[in-house]
Amino acid sequence: MLAFDRVSKIYNLKGVRKVILDDLSFVFPENRNVAIMGKNGAGKSTMMRLLAGSEPPTSGHVYRSLRVSWPLGFAGGFNGSMTGLENIRFVSRIYGQDTERVVTYVKEFAELGPSLRLPIKTYSSGMKARLAFGLSMAINFQVYLIDEITAVGDETFRKKSRAVFQEKLKSSQIIMVSHSAATIQEYCDCGLLLNAGGVTFYDEVTELITAYKSL
Amino acid sequence: MGHRHIVDLLGAGPPHVRQMTTAELLTLQIRVILSLVLRETRATFGTSSFGYLWAVITPTASVAVLVILFSMVGRHAPFGASLALFFATGILTLQFFTETSGKLMTVFDANKALLTYPIIKDVDTILARTILISATYLVIMVIFYAGLIAAGMAQLPARPGQLVLVFLSTALLGLGYGTVNAVIVSLWDTWMQIEKVLTRPLFFISGIFYVPSQLPTRAQDYLQWNPILHLVEWFRIGFYPNYSSSVLDKTYPVLVGTVLLLIGLAGERLFRRTRF
Repeated sequence: MLAFDRVSKIYNLKGVRKVILDDLSFVFPENRNVAIMGKNGAGKSTMMRLLAGSEPPTSGHVYRSLRVSWPLGFAGGFNGSMTGLENIRFVSRIYGQDTERVVTYVKEFAELGPSLRLPIKTYSSGMKARLAFGLSMAINFQVYLIDEITAVGDETFRKKSRAVFQEKLKSSQIIMVSHSAATIQEYCDCGLLLNAGGVTFYDEVTELITAYKSL
Repeated sequence: MGHRHIVDLLGAGPPHVRQMTTAELLTLQIRVILSLVLRETRATFGTSSFGYLWAVITPTASVAVLVILFSMVGRHAPFGASLALFFATGILTLQFFTETSGKLMTVFDANKALLTYPIIKDVDTILARTILISATYLVIMVIFYAGLIAAGMAQLPARPGQLVLVFLSTALLGLGYGTVNAVIVSLWDTWMQIEKVLTRPLFFISGIFYVPSQLPTRAQDYLQWNPILHLVEWFRIGFYPNYSSSVLDKTYPVLVGTVLLLIGLAGERLFRRTRF
């Protein structure tokens, strides 16, 4: 069960009040892959953080009975002065994983080679994304929250991620933010459209994309 | 509008979600805190073991400088034979407190990136920092006092059990005060500067270079409101075989620490939503 119950999210920054979600109640359909689309600033990433529990809603409740991943985006949460290896170990420790197994998996998957022993701040954004993606794939979640991350790396890496991802999808569900209609079409079968605080659910992903394009 | 399927949960009541048992939650929290301690150690002290060495050297050097200054102007120890020991019992206790509370003040901001991982809560980062600083000060104090003993400037502590208790009480007071400050700073960051000014006099009112019991009663009446003064007195009782204090009340700093911690934790919970 993954559900929003009367969830509102309002940011107050320097006197500017921004309503991201307004009294939203929604049960995420189980065993379906849900896309989240919307313009920049519509609140897609906020919704991901609320789903993950990285951030509390301003009012209302988020119910979560599944093992939900952290929002997989571009390298949030890595400590720049720590090496890739140290960051991997840290995340596997907090999630109670066998550290060595995770390290081996990420080494093989992310193909960062000796760079893993360098501080993260020396990484390019592509390298960071590969590390983040590999790390999350090493840990088994029931729901993966993915924020614009599938389109990283070169063609070979993308092919590899797609293969791993398809494997994961057999037993897990994904909720994905993307601007790319092709990516959404490939992975998702229904979706939410965020527009100026209003949220609409589309049972068919093609309808979602049409609505998104006409925004 | 045919495809609008927003389910209204109103009236349906909260859905059934399996709660984790207390034991499960506790193991999870301990696991997270220990991982954070390791991470903070690495982030605070850098890659080389020199980093940790520096953390030990800096407070040691500041006590040494003070001792040298005071002995140059010809001051004698207000109690016992060793000026160094007398100062150390005061300064290291105060420093341990200010370091803990100071490092906690910025804890919410410094660890914001970590909250990407929803498994980590703000309280975990607070406890992890407290554990790390306590461990560091434990090392500092052991090295410093062992050094004094080796140099013949101090005897073995008379009541080691009391020293353990006062160490823990100092950590508790730092934790409580630091948590309250962290909450205030998260709401109003100018507090950071104001707090610095307000606590500057602690150096003078905590009995660091005098014996509080020898002061006039009027002065004692005021000074005894300072919980750190009690910690310093308590530490001396633990170290010297014959130090006596007319001001010391051991329950006072513990009580202040506990109350501050409760206020701090309540504040953290109460203002959690405004921090994001």
